[in-house]
Amino acid sequence: MNELNVFLFNTLLFSLFFNAGISLYGIFARPSLIKKIIALTIFSDTANVLAIVVGYRTWPSPEQSPIPPVITTTNPTTEDIARFASQAVDPLPQALVLTAIVIGLAVTLFLVFLTLQVYRLYGTTDVRRVAKLRG
Amino acid sequence: MRIKKLLVLSSLIILVLTFSLAFTKGALGYYPLPLPGVRTLAYWYLITTLNPRYPSFTAMSPEAVTAIVWDYRGLDTLFETAVFFLAIVGALALARGISLKKALDNANNKDNGKGLSLICKTATRLLTPLIIAVSASIALHGHLTPGGGFQGGSAAAVAPLLILVIFSVYFLLSKGVAEKPMLVLRTAGLIGIYLTALAAVLIGLVTGLNAYVFQNQPKLDAPVGIPAQVSNALISGTLFFFNLSEYLAVASGFTLVFMLLSIPEEIVRSFISGEAHE
Repeated sequence: MNELNVFLFNTLLFSLFFNAGISLYGIFARPSLIKKIIALTIFSDTANVLAIVVGYRTWPSPEQSPIPPVITTTNPTTEDIARFASQAVDPLPQALVLTAIVIGLAVTLFLVFLTLQVYRLYGTTDVRRVAKLRG
Repeated sequence: MRIKKLLVLSSLIILVLTFSLAFTKGALGYYPLPLPGVRTLAYWYLITTLNPRYPSFTAMSPEAVTAIVWDYRGLDTLFETAVFFLAIVGALALARGISLKKALDNANNKDNGKGLSLICKTATRLLTPLIIAVSASIALHGHLTPGGGFQGGSAAAVAPLLILVIFSVYFLLSKGVAEKPMLVLRTAGLIGIYLTALAAVLIGLVTGLNAYVFQNQPKLDAPVGIPAQVSNALISGTLFFFNLSEYLAVASGFTLVFMLLSIPEEIVRSFISGEAHE
C-alpha cells in the first residue's frame, strides 16, 4: 500500500513539472502573444497546485483523513481545537495561493488588454512581426 | 533554427527531470510521502485561529485561511491588493481617451436588438440575481466558511461579464453600470480597506490607548480591539469588514476592465485614429 502511495505521489510531482515544462515551452517558443498568455496561466496554475501539495499531510491515522483548515463550530471546546489541529492541512500555502490567483487574474487581464492594444495598433499578435516594426 | 529548437527542447527536458528528481527525493522537506503532522508554524495558526484561551494571539475566525490572509499576514494582503489595483489602473491607462458614454451617444448604438437569442437572454435574466446572491454569500461568510472578498468579488464580476456577452455593452450602460459608478464603488471599497486597517489606531487615538495598524483582537500591550461578536453573531473583528470592502472593490474593478475590453472594435479605432490626427 505504501509503495503505491509513494508511486502515486511521485507521479503527481512529475506530472506537475511536466505540465510546467510544456507551459514554459509555450511561453518561450510560441510566437503568438495570446498563446503566451494561455501558457502563462497554465504555468501559474501548476505553481499553485504545487504550493497546495506542499501543504498536504498524509492521513494522521488510518481512521482520520486530513480535513480543510476550517473549524466547523463557532464555539469550539479545547478538544475540538486539538482534534482540528491534529487533522487539518497546512493553511499557509492555501492563503498564498489565494493571493496568487487574484494577482494572476489581474495580471492576465492587464496582459490581455495590452495584447488587444498591440493588435489594434499593429494588426498582429505575432512577436516576430511586432519586433520588426519600426516607429 | 533547428539547433535553437533542439536547445529549447533539451533544456526544458533537463529542467523537468531535475526538478522532478529533486522533489521526489525530498526537496519538500520530507521523503518519500508527506508527514502525518504539519509544520510548527501551521500548527500554531491552526490552534490559535479560533481559540478564546489565547486572547492575544487568536484571530477569532474559524476559517484559518481568512485569518492568515487578513490578520496574521494582513500587510502582505494589503500590498497584494495594491498590485491588483495597479494592474487595473494600468488597463485603464491603456484605454484612456476611450469614452463609453460618447460611443453610446454618437452612433445609432441604442438598438436593443443586439445580442444572442431570446433563450440566452431569458436564462441570463434569471441567472444574474442568483450569481450576485451567491457571490455575496461567499464574501460575507468569508470569515466562517471557505471564501472571502476576492472569491466573492470575482464571482460577482461574472454577472456583468455574462450580460456583456449575451446582451451588449450598451445594455449594461443603459442599466447604469458605467465607468463612473464602477470607479466610485472601487474607490469606496479601497477606502473601506484602509479605514478597516486603521480602525484600531483610530480608536486608540480617541481613547489614548496603544494600538497597531492592522490590529484585529486586543493584544497584551495594545488593549484596543474590534469586537469579535456582534449580538452573538461571529464577525471576527476586522475580517468581516475587510471581506466586505474587498468584495466591492474586486467586483467593480473587474467589471470596469471587462467593460473596457468589450468596447466594439470600430469605436476604439476611431478614437485611436482621432488621437493620431490631433
